[in-house]
Amino acid sequence: MPPIVAGKHRRKVRFPSSTSTTSSNSTNQQPPPTKSTLTNQKRPGQSRPRPKLSSATTGKMTSQAAPRPGIPDLFTQPSAIRDPLVTETTDLQDATLEKCLPFLKGISSTQQGPFNAYGVPALQRDDHVAFLYDSLEDYPPGFVILDASRPWMAYWGLAGLFLMGEDPTRFRERLIDTLRPAQNSTGGFGGGRGQISHLAGSYAAVLSLAIVGGEDTYSLIDRQAMWRWLGRLKQADGGFRVCEGGEEDVRGAYCVMAIISLLDLPSELPPDCEARKAGLNTLTDGLAQYLSRCQTFEGGISGSPGVEAHGAYAYCALACLALLGPPEETIVRHMNLPLLLSWLSSRQYGPEGGFSGRTNKLVDGCYSHWVGGCWPIIQSALDGKPQGSGPPATTVGSLFSREGLSRYILSCCQSPTGGLRDKPGKHADSYHTCYVLAGLSAMQHYHYRTDSATGSNKSWASAFTWRSTPIREDNVYEKSDRLAALHPLYGIPFPSVDEMRLWCEARPITP
Amino acid sequence: MDGKYASDPEWASVTPIPLDDGEESGASPLAYIAYPTEYLEATSYLRAVMAANEMSERALKLTQDVIAMNPAHYTVWIYRAKILLALEKDLNEEISWLNTVALKYLKNYQIWHHRQVIMSTRASFPTLPPKEQDFLVDMFAQDSKNYHVWTYRHWLVRHFKLWDNPREIEDVNHLLKADVRNNSAWNHRYMLRFGPREGELDAGMANAGDMSTTPSDKGVLGVVDEDMVDGELLYAQEAIVRAPENRSPWWFARGVLLASGRGLEEWEEFAGKFVAGDVVKSSHAVEWLADVYAGAGKEGLAVDMLNLLKEKYDPIRKNYWDYRIKALGQATA
Repeated sequence: MPPIVAGKHRRKVRFPSSTSTTSSNSTNQQPPPTKSTLTNQKRPGQSRPRPKLSSATTGKMTSQAAPRPGIPDLFTQPSAIRDPLVTETTDLQDATLEKCLPFLKGISSTQQGPFNAYGVPALQRDDHVAFLYDSLEDYPPGFVILDASRPWMAYWGLAGLFLMGEDPTRFRERLIDTLRPAQNSTGGFGGGRGQISHLAGSYAAVLSLAIVGGEDTYSLIDRQAMWRWLGRLKQADGGFRVCEGGEEDVRGAYCVMAIISLLDLPSELPPDCEARKAGLNTLTDGLAQYLSRCQTFEGGISGSPGVEAHGAYAYCALACLALLGPPEETIVRHMNLPLLLSWLSSRQYGPEGGFSGRTNKLVDGCYSHWVGGCWPIIQSALDGKPQGSGPPATTVGSLFSREGLSRYILSCCQSPTGGLRDKPGKHADSYHTCYVLAGLSAMQHYHYRTDSATGSNKSWASAFTWRSTPIREDNVYEKSDRLAALHPLYGIPFPSVDEMRLWCEARPITP
Repeated sequence: MDGKYASDPEWASVTPIPLDDGEESGASPLAYIAYPTEYLEATSYLRAVMAANEMSERALKLTQDVIAMNPAHYTVWIYRAKILLALEKDLNEEISWLNTVALKYLKNYQIWHHRQVIMSTRASFPTLPPKEQDFLVDMFAQDSKNYHVWTYRHWLVRHFKLWDNPREIEDVNHLLKADVRNNSAWNHRYMLRFGPREGELDAGMANAGDMSTTPSDKGVLGVVDEDMVDGELLYAQEAIVRAPENRSPWWFARGVLLASGRGLEEWEEFAGKFVAGDVVKSSHAVEWLADVYAGAGKEGLAVDMLNLLKEKYDPIRKNYWDYRIKALGQATA
């Protein structure tokens, strides 16, 4: 049972977050929470001192200490090849590995059991659920920097709770209260009242509303105005700005496709928008080509053309292509797939087991979703056109180590005070909690497409053919660590996707 | 309210628009922030002047106040850019101010887009300001892989046509000398040498987004300067010799060879130096040889290489190596 009941009961959160260290130069502002206040707020039973891992001598001791039984060498031994040349990159990598090793071995004093036969600690359900409920409650003044991110806070909390088997629909009224003042009459949602509409905020708002569901919820969204606003964000090169006057990037492209497909918005561009003057007629004209231009020589995908390949943008681009049409057509047509596979596969590091976002950067739990979320889409693209109503008869299977990622998540990403984190030594926050759990859930489910879509509208139909089934084969987590499934393209429950889409289809918007 | 705006005669004509988050009427919004009073007041005046689309000195000052309290407030940045342009303010001064703000908030998105908006004003910045690249060096000294700064630098190259500006490649060389594993710098290098130029749509690889080509044509240039290509390949080799297990230069070299229409086989001997019997110094060299053998129809040898990766040198990627082995038409060992 979760120790906290949601509802009107307001609590001050103990809220550890790395973002809180951003200070402001306002003199009258209360200082944001610091690491020292956090350690004072540990709950009983969790006050064991952290091992000092920073010193070289202690580090050597921990790396030589024996792991728990059941853990293969692959997850405790450094890579076979190590260059003698030391640079900043290897310093950071070595320090990270040194911090992760005691957790991978299951011997850190801050880990909570029970450990299973594979040497993996159990998912600390109650702590994470409590953290997520807390994350939806009040924040102290130092968190003013989250003012533009409140729709995100709602999404991360609600999606996280759903993953943990909680019922997010109990937040329906409060979510509507939160988002109503954030919607602009000119279309879209901002971070709050008086903030201009932003694609990230609108995406988080629409997803959150889908999660809690219900007529009143859906009808809050002014879909006609949303459509007109999206038209104003469309750029001549096929991409989208994230807000009027804002930057253009792949996040924008993905958020737009998620919004128009869920809300069943017309694909035509509104008659009066600038992009029409550039010869474009639909919201999707040139979009796939724009994404194609974001693939780099490494094979990965960047935030905008010409920049370095990055895991979070790779997810946005691939999910966007899979929303535009069947991935075996859109991804195969627009991406150099062998190059992409090579780059994506090299995001997983041993012995950590987790994913990094870029070449020569560190593992981070949030890429469990951003990089991990690319794999079901790629797998489906490789499996080809769906032939029936069930899983395909043959599949290319997992092209990465599910065991490695599961180990990294359960052994390294669980914060001793609840919530999930980037890596050992970092604080939990609701962003990481949501996306690390989403990654764990994706490890536990097989996502595939069928030959029939929910609804009758043919636009973006492929997005509505996805289904999921739990993977029963061996893995290193326990039955009690199983999470609910999220739709691989939207990051919300499957029924939420279908219900919102059907409700919107029944109420068509006329261009 | 009797805060600094309410008591200021300059603001007497403005009726602030409060946050009105429904707290008073009994609603309990999610993730509510106990906003500091000063922030609530400043943002209530911000809403009012934005609603009136006011372009004024006092509004400009207000944006600076809000940014100081919350630099992640994207709305106030967009509004500030509009005011600066409408009032024809000295944009050099704005850039100087941004330098201090950027060094303070290293992970902030908004600052870099704002800088781009300001810097793209041709009237104020017809050519590259002399100190701009110096400032970026200062930023990289704080975080040499900062994604927002690299995104901005890439934009700067295209905007001011700096592909052959000596300072660009010098800075890349300097960063790679300090850390040969800085993949952001390798990416910038690739774009300087092989990226689309004037009159071409921006892209990570040539031919991308061209519907008349296939994805396997991506990255292949029609015409290349062979001397430049040889120079880049040599540069990559020198980097590899310093640290053979560094993915960046190996994949840079693949990009260079692809761009120039040359095959991986010309590096067979070089890659072979790192795979001598039992002494393997680079998993990337093993993968290189696997690709060379596969391309030459020597599937058996290619599988041997992939098995080395799978079993010893990159075992976390076992499933991927198995997929590659299967694709070669060989039974998985």
